[in-house]
Amino acid sequence: MKAFLKFDFTILTKKFLEEKLSSFGLKYTITGFGEVEFLENIPDEKIEEITSLLNEYGIEIIENQKTVLVQKIKDTIIEMVFKEDAPNVKASVYLAEKLNHSYGYLSNLFSEVTYASIENFIILQKIEYAKQLIVNDKLSLTEIAFKLNYSSVAHLSTQFKNTTGITPSQFQRIIAKRREIANTK
Amino acid sequence: MNILSFYRSPIFLRIVFVLSIAIIFFIAAVTYKQINALTNSSNQVLNTYNVAVELEKMYTYINDLETAKRDYIASNDQTIKFAIKIHQKEIEKALLKVEKITKGNKTQREYLKILRSLIKHKYYIVNSILAKDYSNGILGSTELNNDFLSGKKVMYDIRKVINKMITIEESLLNKRNSIYKDNQKTTPLYIYLTLLITLVLLVLSYVKMSKDLNNIKSYNNELLVSNESSNLSEIVGNYGTWQLNLDTNKYTFSDNEYRLLGYEPKAFKANLDDFMKHIHPDDYEMVKEVTLKMIYQEVLPSFTYRIYKTNGELRHFRASGRVVTKSEERILIGTTTDVTEVIIANQEIEERNRILESNNKELQAFNYVASHDLQEPLRKIETFISRLIDKDLDNLSESGQQYLSRINAAAGRMRILIDDLLQFSRTTRAEQVFMKTDLNELLENAKQEQAQLIEEKKAIINNETLPELEVVPFQIQQLFSNLINNSIKYSKENIPPVINISITEVDTESDEKINSITNTKFYKIIFSDNGIGFEQEYADKIFTLFTRLHNKDEYAGTGIGLAICKKIIENHKGYIFANSEIDRGSTFTIYLPKEI
Amino acid sequence: MQKEYIHIVLADDDEDDRLFFTDAFSELKMSTKVQTYNDGVALMDYLNQEDAILPNVLFLDLNMPRKSGIECLQEIKSNSKFDNIAIAIYSTSSSEEHIEETFVLGANIYIKKPNDFNALKKVLSDVITINWQYHTSGLNKENFLLRM
Repeated sequence: MKAFLKFDFTILTKKFLEEKLSSFGLKYTITGFGEVEFLENIPDEKIEEITSLLNEYGIEIIENQKTVLVQKIKDTIIEMVFKEDAPNVKASVYLAEKLNHSYGYLSNLFSEVTYASIENFIILQKIEYAKQLIVNDKLSLTEIAFKLNYSSVAHLSTQFKNTTGITPSQFQRIIAKRREIANTK
Repeated sequence: MNILSFYRSPIFLRIVFVLSIAIIFFIAAVTYKQINALTNSSNQVLNTYNVAVELEKMYTYINDLETAKRDYIASNDQTIKFAIKIHQKEIEKALLKVEKITKGNKTQREYLKILRSLIKHKYYIVNSILAKDYSNGILGSTELNNDFLSGKKVMYDIRKVINKMITIEESLLNKRNSIYKDNQKTTPLYIYLTLLITLVLLVLSYVKMSKDLNNIKSYNNELLVSNESSNLSEIVGNYGTWQLNLDTNKYTFSDNEYRLLGYEPKAFKANLDDFMKHIHPDDYEMVKEVTLKMIYQEVLPSFTYRIYKTNGELRHFRASGRVVTKSEERILIGTTTDVTEVIIANQEIEERNRILESNNKELQAFNYVASHDLQEPLRKIETFISRLIDKDLDNLSESGQQYLSRINAAAGRMRILIDDLLQFSRTTRAEQVFMKTDLNELLENAKQEQAQLIEEKKAIINNETLPELEVVPFQIQQLFSNLINNSIKYSKENIPPVINISITEVDTESDEKINSITNTKFYKIIFSDNGIGFEQEYADKIFTLFTRLHNKDEYAGTGIGLAICKKIIENHKGYIFANSEIDRGSTFTIYLPKEI
Repeated sequence: MQKEYIHIVLADDDEDDRLFFTDAFSELKMSTKVQTYNDGVALMDYLNQEDAILPNVLFLDLNMPRKSGIECLQEIKSNSKFDNIAIAIYSTSSSEEHIEETFVLGANIYIKKPNDFNALKKVLSDVITINWQYHTSGLNKENFLLRM
């Protein structure tokens, strides 16, 4: 029997951090997604301990402010793309509003830090979501295109192909065949 | 059932036969009746005659009696009494005779009664006279006279009655005569009529019978001819026929059935074992099984086996048969055909096919591997050239630079050639998967493939919406791509190429360019452009491999592109045609069957 | 963008291609460490070492003697130790069926060897960049499919 899971990362990470940080006996509050405020000063060795523990789980402590903002931009974009009922606003407007900076500033900052553009990142995220939806196998390509605010399946196809080099239907096929092989093992 | 069909039916003769017998009986009956009537009539005549005679005789006797009486009176001779007695006896005899003859006639009996009484009266008179004695001579003359004449009245009456009786007899006779005469007249008429009818019927029967006989003769002839013909056809067709009576288990072989085995016709009494003797040992069990099945299931499906002829030659036979019921007998009829030539020819063809297929496979593999493996060194050359141009171009002399640039160009051409060859080899590979595809998607992909060229030449492509069709996707995409590439490549200088793609549905009746037997409905897709065009006389040639209408300095090309298009279309059982005029652009028409 | 080196491994039996590969990376302004192996056996021997430093991206040529790229791919995918490696098939073939097959078997990236050095540089750079984005954005590695 197969079960498809959807992750709410906010809850997941929160619970996880609570679990892990509690073992250190530290006083802290989780103030947001990816934000923890320690209510006391932590000695360097402890920080190293925490850092290496979290690193095992692929969690990194970001230090740089710029990096933080960029991370925020990424998170906002991810949230915007992956929302169930995504608002039909332009990304630029949405980001500027959410993060209280001009879109121009955010765009420049993003490119400086990541060497890639916000638009690219958005497209990447959308295509990622499309991939997830295809893997979940519940919606048709038309429905997926509609959900992601593409004007047509052709539009989705074109962007999909430009990003990954293959068409959504090819991707579908490959996933299906992979599943077949996994099932027969 | 109308007269003619009744005449022709087989019951006709039977009915005629029965009718004739009936008529004969009828005639016999009628004849018998006539003879009877005749006999009756003559009897009647005889009777009447007899009555007359007897009555006359009787009168004579009575007269004699009278005379005797008178004699007695005259002579008183006592001996006359004896004579009188005799006369009386005679009268009695005559009376009895007449009585007998006229037994049936009431009127006569009445008269006879009267007669009898009259005669009785006479007797009385006579007896009274006899009682007298006339010896004394003549008595008182009045008494004598009275005695003499006493019988006169009676005699007169008797005579009258007798006459009456005779008259009656005579009239009776006449009446009977006339009836008889009538009968005589009509009877022959009946007889002649029935005889005539019988004659007609008999003539008809004769005609029918002789016709039937002729028919039978001619049918027989036809049968003989037909038999001969079938015998001949058996010889010519190299087959024999046989029959197995399922009830008597008796076999019959046709003449050629024997010849097939190498025997003379009727060389042995037809039976299964002698036939089976010739069967190839490997096929023996199979044939036996099928034969047993044939006898029990009463059907023989077609099957093939090998035999050895009497001269040891190996032949292949095909046998089949079925049951036929003729007049309540079940007969299994079958044919045995010598199919050796066909089988050997087939085997040869199969062998040749195998060789061809394996050759083909080798060629295809060679083709593919060659173009594929040629790519390697070429790629290296191109990459190293690009490195050189990037890094060391300035370090080269002018001629060196020129040479390098030419090397690059040549490598570029080789690249295109190998790409095209590779493409071509891909379209001829055996395993092609047909699936229902949206042709619009393929067209879009093709446009993307040619995106750079389209951008460069600012080409415009207008297309109608294409349908879904069962195709090999990558091949049709290739087709579209090649056609677009062609149109753009051969466009007029400084005039942006415009390509129009349209589609209609046609069928074999409405469009005479396609003459397919298997498919009737086609999609007709037209690619038309505003390029430089070509002479229509080359319309077929351009689809041949490596054929070009321009040299490489005018337009780059390998002469493979359109050949690939044609190959792809052939793979899909479609058609492609080209139409053009110099300077007036070109039109490529593709027909793809709606259903594979 | 990244603080550490990106480890890159190439398995290709062609000397020229190895040369192109290493030259391209040396000209790219990315902090990369490149290792090359001559064939599949050498590659797997390295990877299966206890303390091997696993590459971030592994480039596999398909046509190699002794052990082909496909065989290596299957071996690698069947060992969970190598789950974090992004596998790029680096090949001369451009047959559609081939490409799909490698993806189905678990490859993440398919690269057709370009015939121009600059094109090669661009391709390699793009691959590394996109891979890095995946790496840092927490995107699902399973669905990472890229065709150049």
